[in-house]
Amino acid sequence: MLAFLPQLVVSGIATGMLYALMALSMTVGYRATTVVNFGHGDMLMIGAYASYVLVVGIGLPFGPAFVLAAALLFFLGVAAQRLLMQPIIAGPHLSLAMMALAVGYALRGLARIEWGNTVLKLPRAYPAGAFMLGPVVVTTDDIVISGAVLALLATMFLVFNVTAIGKVIQAVFQTQRGAALVGINVRAFYATMWGAGAALGAVGGVLMALIVPLTPDIGVATLVRGFAAMTLGGFGSLHGAVIGGLLLGIMEKVLGFYVSTVFIDITAYLVTILVLLIRPKGLFGQHATLRI
Amino acid sequence: MSGRRLFWLIPLLLLPVPLLLDQYQQYVANLILVYVPVGVGFNVVVGNLGLLAFSNVAFFGIGAYTAGILMLKLGLPWWLTVLPAGAMGGIAGAAASVPALRGVRLFYLAIMTLAFGELMRWVYIRWEPVTGGSFGMAVPEPSVLGWALNVESRKFYAFLVLVVLVIVLTERLLRSRFGRAFVAIKGNEEAAAAMGIPTDRYILLGFAWGGFVVGIAGSMYAALVGHLSPASFDLTELILQFAIIMVGGLGSLVGSVLGAALLTAAPEFFRDLPGFEELLFAVLIITVILFLPRGLASLLARAHPVFDDRYFRE
Repeated sequence: MLAFLPQLVVSGIATGMLYALMALSMTVGYRATTVVNFGHGDMLMIGAYASYVLVVGIGLPFGPAFVLAAALLFFLGVAAQRLLMQPIIAGPHLSLAMMALAVGYALRGLARIEWGNTVLKLPRAYPAGAFMLGPVVVTTDDIVISGAVLALLATMFLVFNVTAIGKVIQAVFQTQRGAALVGINVRAFYATMWGAGAALGAVGGVLMALIVPLTPDIGVATLVRGFAAMTLGGFGSLHGAVIGGLLLGIMEKVLGFYVSTVFIDITAYLVTILVLLIRPKGLFGQHATLRI
Repeated sequence: MSGRRLFWLIPLLLLPVPLLLDQYQQYVANLILVYVPVGVGFNVVVGNLGLLAFSNVAFFGIGAYTAGILMLKLGLPWWLTVLPAGAMGGIAGAAASVPALRGVRLFYLAIMTLAFGELMRWVYIRWEPVTGGSFGMAVPEPSVLGWALNVESRKFYAFLVLVVLVIVLTERLLRSRFGRAFVAIKGNEEAAAAMGIPTDRYILLGFAWGGFVVGIAGSMYAALVGHLSPASFDLTELILQFAIIMVGGLGSLVGSVLGAALLTAAPEFFRDLPGFEELLFAVLIITVILFLPRGLASLLARAHPVFDDRYFRE
């Protein structure tokens, strides 16, 4: 039985990479605006459909379609933030959360009207296959997904830590009023980061569409996983989101194999509930509860 | 305040309604009655307590399955299952308040209660011997004291009694010191605690009452549709319930009723058009948040102060 463990961990890491990307893209939007985007899963879904339309409908090669889909989602994210979130940004948190949720629902409704509940499949731009790495089977999907996410992570850490934009981002992450005082346009920053989160989500959507059939509902299931990964890693922590995502991916596979297949579906919920009850700040987060 | 007494005319005026409707219209009217307590209970937690909790669908499902299981497995008549369904909903509500009592707030609470709701859906799917799994369970014909609710109009009267009870009791609660404590907690929890209000106790009570009311709505749902399946308690259901209180008006009983009346009927027009329902709810919620933050109830309140049932200003 234990002989399967390396295999489970390896396939867990591949799905965990997707969860990590999801959690990371949500963290970017959250850190910028302190609002959790409950509609983020549907941004991911729209990103996946956009690339499907570009590849299958228009016939673009995979690479340009990928970039174009991410760019489209960037503008969708910016527009959603500017037109719908910004007018109520000073209002109660409940309205902001509901607005984000409603935007997600609108997107899902539109996708369902256009593509119904038919299951689409994004064609791979590379040959599907698998090879043995020692005792472990690795698929080309695993390699592509992990490689793409790792490349993206490396780019993000470079942008955050080395470039001038990264300095701006870190400044606003630390204190928004302070950043505004030294002349940073915080409003534009909100919209840009919201858009960046959506674009990252779109990349996640395209990668996910490689291994999961495309339906209007793929976003919701992933959103729950993204939340679980963020909670586990600690809300607002960038590296926490990545580690949380990987751990969640591995846990799903290991528990699903050794305990019961039902754990593939419910691990994310259990993780969310248990972490928030036992250690609300997660692994690397700030304090998250109100003490009275 | 005395103008409020006129509200008692509303259920009286509704009495002859079944004479005017055909079976299908009557079914939709009954569905509206089911969703009034759903909105009332949800609104207590979200609108009056001001907590971002998404566990309402779980209470609804728990109430519906409690009623269904008691009728199918123990052979109880429907009317005897209403209180147990409410009690189970209330217990679930108390359980869902535990994270809030431990200080989990805002979207943390939202995510956690969302996870709770989805987890319950997996319980319905996986606990097959009792719930019938993903195929669902057939609920036996409901009855009240031996009077079979075998036509829609009879269900209407049974539901109307429950809805009036729920609204009257909730109105009493919100106007008592409990309701005033809710207002204080919604306004500023730390200040409320500093003034000596035992906030924990009131939050627990608010959740339990919300769960109780929604659990009763669940038993009505079981009686109305006659078939329970896990798919009825998914995230689409959550957006319907959220739309009811947002569009109707947060923290307003009048709003819960308006929202239920408007939004329960609307999807019936889109039965065969997948996607339109989601889009409609989303657009309505967005419009209300942007242009009418206190919902449709605030329009009525502006027309006549008798409809203004919010006991606080913002």
